[in-house]
Amino acid sequence: MRFPFLPRTLCVALALPLLAACSDDATDGGSTSPNVARTFNQVERLGNPLVSEVFFMKRDHGLHNSTAPATDVVNGFGDKIKAFTNAFNRGPVIANTLAAVLVPDMLLVYPNRAGNTAGWLSWALAAGYGGRTIKDDVVDAGLTAIFGKLLDPSATVLPGLTSDNISTSTRTYPTTFPYLEAAR
Amino acid sequence: MPLPSLSRRTVRSLAALSVGVAALAVGQRVYASDHMDTPETELNPRMDINDVYAFPGASADRIALVVTTSSPIAGQNASFDPNLLYQIKVDNTGDAVEDLVFQVTFDAGVGAAQRYSVRGPVAPAMTGTKTMLATGGTVITGTVGSTAGSATGIQVFAGLRADPFVIDLEQFFNIIPDRRPSTGPLAAQSGPPATSFRMPGVDFLKPFNALAIAIELPKSALQSSTAADAKFGVWSTISR
Repeated sequence: MRFPFLPRTLCVALALPLLAACSDDATDGGSTSPNVARTFNQVERLGNPLVSEVFFMKRDHGLHNSTAPATDVVNGFGDKIKAFTNAFNRGPVIANTLAAVLVPDMLLVYPNRAGNTAGWLSWALAAGYGGRTIKDDVVDAGLTAIFGKLLDPSATVLPGLTSDNISTSTRTYPTTFPYLEAAR
Repeated sequence: MPLPSLSRRTVRSLAALSVGVAALAVGQRVYASDHMDTPETELNPRMDINDVYAFPGASADRIALVVTTSSPIAGQNASFDPNLLYQIKVDNTGDAVEDLVFQVTFDAGVGAAQRYSVRGPVAPAMTGTKTMLATGGTVITGTVGSTAGSATGIQVFAGLRADPFVIDLEQFFNIIPDRRPSTGPLAAQSGPPATSFRMPGVDFLKPFNALAIAIELPKSALQSSTAADAKFGVWSTISR
């Protein structure tokens, strides 16, 4: 008890990284196993690319992040997708097709189909494996589906919106696990 | 092109905001596609899932699941949030409810000194938006930046990698300004409001990194059926 204030004083005095080391919080003990009795609450989710960030108004992103696929239909996610395409007068075929393949919002995989057919929404467009590969250009795929003729041959093409004019070919993705380029 | 009226209003307000906001210095945060889609994830980027991938693995009987988070990270020093639970969920019965989950947690280490634990695939104790850590099933631990597990069983990786996503994000926000983040450099208009993409586009995320989680395993571990048209749904969540 000669220096009862010393540990706290040191904490205050030392640099920021050392503050954490001085913490007496039991959860900071370096374990990779948090308390198993704790309940976690979802704050973020993602299934298909573009669903919330393109089709949903910003005000609806929180709803998407705080709910689960099982309630996507009753939460009107299909209607939100249709509202987006309707704002661009893309017609009912495109609206209904996109809503059908993207809601509930899960990345669908048909694992027993040929692996070389893997690609975003290939399960719906070409009876393929589906899923999503690292090199899929989902931006161009999504833009083509919305603003091109892919889903509705009679649709008017909006040429300035069918591609962002940048391709995944600008990258070199490794072919071995974990399939991602080294950090920059 | 008939942009929604809210977007046009937002264009005007952002154009006004852009005056004096020229702090696009290299190294400052910029914001990406899913990529910062709510104020909450803007406050804690490590709470942000950027992209989810599912594709054939090293052999036809294996599948790889990859999740990227936290992009855009400039530089090499970043850690996963030890207070968050990162999950990949699989519905293999067609009801949009998870039947199997992978649960990934991290200790309080920094950078390459951080360690991860990957539980699963395991049936979750709870389904939906509330979750508890599984107490059974496989647990694989490793060090961030390195691979653990088995190349013929469950193989896992967690660490910093280049963000694989390609998009001309800046022009996307000029076309649909409602989707802009509410804070940070890209919250402000960076060019004139646009009605089309530019030629050539800009690979906006190429300089940046993400914190990635990758899991590869036999696809049979995720399937409920071996039928030719068997399917499952995959999504990822972050919980706190």
